[in-house]
Amino acid sequence: MPVLELLQAGLAGRLQPINLRISNGDRIVLLGRSGAGKSSLISLCNGALQPDQGRLLWQGQPFLQRSRRQRCELGTLWQDLRLVEELTAIQNIQAGALGRHDLLWAVRNLLGLLDPAPCMQAVNAVGLEPDLLNKPVLNLSGGQRQRVALARLLHQMPQLVLADEPLSALDPVLADDVLATLLQAPACLISLHRPELMHRFNRVLGLRQGKLVLNKHPDAVTESDLKWLYSES
Amino acid sequence: MPLLPGLLLLPVLLRLSLDLHSGGLNLVLQFWQAALQPSLNPLLLRSLLNAVSTTLLMAVLSWLISTGAGFILGLLCSRRVAALFGGSGWMSTWLRHLLAPFRAIHELVWGLLFLQLFGLNGWVAVLAISLPYSALMARVLADQIDNRSSSAVQALKSGGATAASTLFTAVLPETAGGLLSHSGHRLDCAVRSAVLLGVFGLGGIGTDLALSLQSLRFHEVWSGLWVLAMLMFVLDRLRRRPQLLAVVAVLSLASATSQLDLSFPQVTSPLLNMSGEQLLGALQETPWAELIGGTLLVTVAAATIAVGLPPLMLLLTLQRRSLRQLLWALMRLIPVPLTALLLLFVFQPSPVLAAVALGLHHSGVMGRVMEDDLDECSSLQAEALLQLGAGQRSAVLYGRLGPISRPYLAYGLVRLDVILRDTAVVGMVGGAGLGWQLIDALGSFHWALVLLLLLAYAALTISGEVVSGWMQTTWGCKAVEA
Repeated sequence: MPVLELLQAGLAGRLQPINLRISNGDRIVLLGRSGAGKSSLISLCNGALQPDQGRLLWQGQPFLQRSRRQRCELGTLWQDLRLVEELTAIQNIQAGALGRHDLLWAVRNLLGLLDPAPCMQAVNAVGLEPDLLNKPVLNLSGGQRQRVALARLLHQMPQLVLADEPLSALDPVLADDVLATLLQAPACLISLHRPELMHRFNRVLGLRQGKLVLNKHPDAVTESDLKWLYSES
Repeated sequence: MPLLPGLLLLPVLLRLSLDLHSGGLNLVLQFWQAALQPSLNPLLLRSLLNAVSTTLLMAVLSWLISTGAGFILGLLCSRRVAALFGGSGWMSTWLRHLLAPFRAIHELVWGLLFLQLFGLNGWVAVLAISLPYSALMARVLADQIDNRSSSAVQALKSGGATAASTLFTAVLPETAGGLLSHSGHRLDCAVRSAVLLGVFGLGGIGTDLALSLQSLRFHEVWSGLWVLAMLMFVLDRLRRRPQLLAVVAVLSLASATSQLDLSFPQVTSPLLNMSGEQLLGALQETPWAELIGGTLLVTVAAATIAVGLPPLMLLLTLQRRSLRQLLWALMRLIPVPLTALLLLFVFQPSPVLAAVALGLHHSGVMGRVMEDDLDECSSLQAEALLQLGAGQRSAVLYGRLGPISRPYLAYGLVRLDVILRDTAVVGMVGGAGLGWQLIDALGSFHWALVLLLLLAYAALTISGEVVSGWMQTTWGCKAVEA
């Protein structure tokens, strides 16, 4: 059964109706010019935008009727990271597990009373220096904040990862690390501006003027496919 | 721009010179001389310490109540919190409107009203301060929450966090800094309000100050003022150490029951027994246009003095920053009714005198705001102008006052609302305006008129808030409540 399924789901003026099935093991890269509708599709998939037409299913159930446990199975690495700037790095990373805990746990995290051990695996996976963990996110550099957001996502332990331009503004080494980490998720849909990385995925989606025009294995994508995808008219 | 309001000082000074009666000049001179020779009588000092601790207890208790109540009400008033829990936000908007009259009416008016209703009781001052402060705190918290972006909230919610967990993890930490700072400021305000209520007979150091001034014992007045200054200084230092502040709050609470009469007051409710006929009679017999006009006149005049005086003083005392800071501290320290009483030694009572008393007190606040703004603003522009050959004053006017003029004037607009509320305090000095009429109506138990005047005050203050908000938006200079 697919994890996420879009059935003729569309957004008026932004995204034409799309049929898409994402299953475990899918590593999907989303390509297209700026304004082609990549961010809209990501927002549609994580529920930030509601479709004007069509339906979304999560594990066969209507998307909006997901239980709290099911909600934490879908993780997003947002383009603007969406960290709580005033909290420390470790508090932000712990917040990734909010979907599995109650209010008392949230308050204990706020007061810094939680044991950091459970999220150290995520911290180590993104290579975040331990001395940064107790610093407010406000005081971290762009690359460090990116790692915090990634660690929060890993600590959430989602089944499907959505990421909107996660490599923009990153140096090549960090970009490679981040991509490698994201690709370890059971399934992922990642929008990128770098077609040369498509061979690290097992499926390529191409959007052009809000329409899904490419849905192939990377080996089947030709130069002319990419040229057309990125051409102006 | 910040100098423009100072132009009003010319007609004010002209008018005051006509009201001058030289007989009291000697008294004013004696008052200021006594500043350096306060009475050190041990009996007096012991009594003052006792009185100041009563004031502190009233302030801390009302501060704790208003912070707690304001926090809960603020969350309920926030449209963003309502949306987080799946609500539409109309209830938050209505609750916000419902709370507006409570913050629009000055704590002194609440105090005098409760005094008439409950008699002299420790709760009177505490409730009088807590009521408007809770509503004010609720508005500040709701505004702080609603003015923030919600990106982290969406990230946590989409990850499965509950609304309550998201509130504690994303919304509250975002606003905690501003909230703590505002809460510390409110303790400072609560102490000033407790002193003011004391001046009107509700106990504490305010009562001692008023009695000493009325019997012309200026050395004793200054002993009280210096003790009060020390208390304000200590609280200002404690504001930066929340743990110590919490200890002071707990100790104050522990001793509150022994220092204050906190027994449950006997409630009489003449306001509930009022008939429509009485209300109609009060409505017809009162010259509303004259009263509202007088109140607005005093408000605008006091605000222009408060806003215009600090820049003028800056230009007159360029290098004497410590002298200015002392002046602003003194202006803030002396409660408005005492300033008014001092002015009455030399001038006839009039609305202008009321405006000057209010304006001088608030210029202490505006002066501190101006000095803080100047500290944060770079002096490079003024230095560049000096290099061009400009004079010291011109360089300060263009290079220092120019850059801070927008935030300074924006805060002046916020102050306008506060001054409007404070006109109730100087009402009796001016012999005009709603404040005077309100105090008169309270004294004569004319409850129908009291109710109508309270409504008029609330309507005026809310209109003032709307106008000042509109002006801040139009001028593009949103002020932060300090």
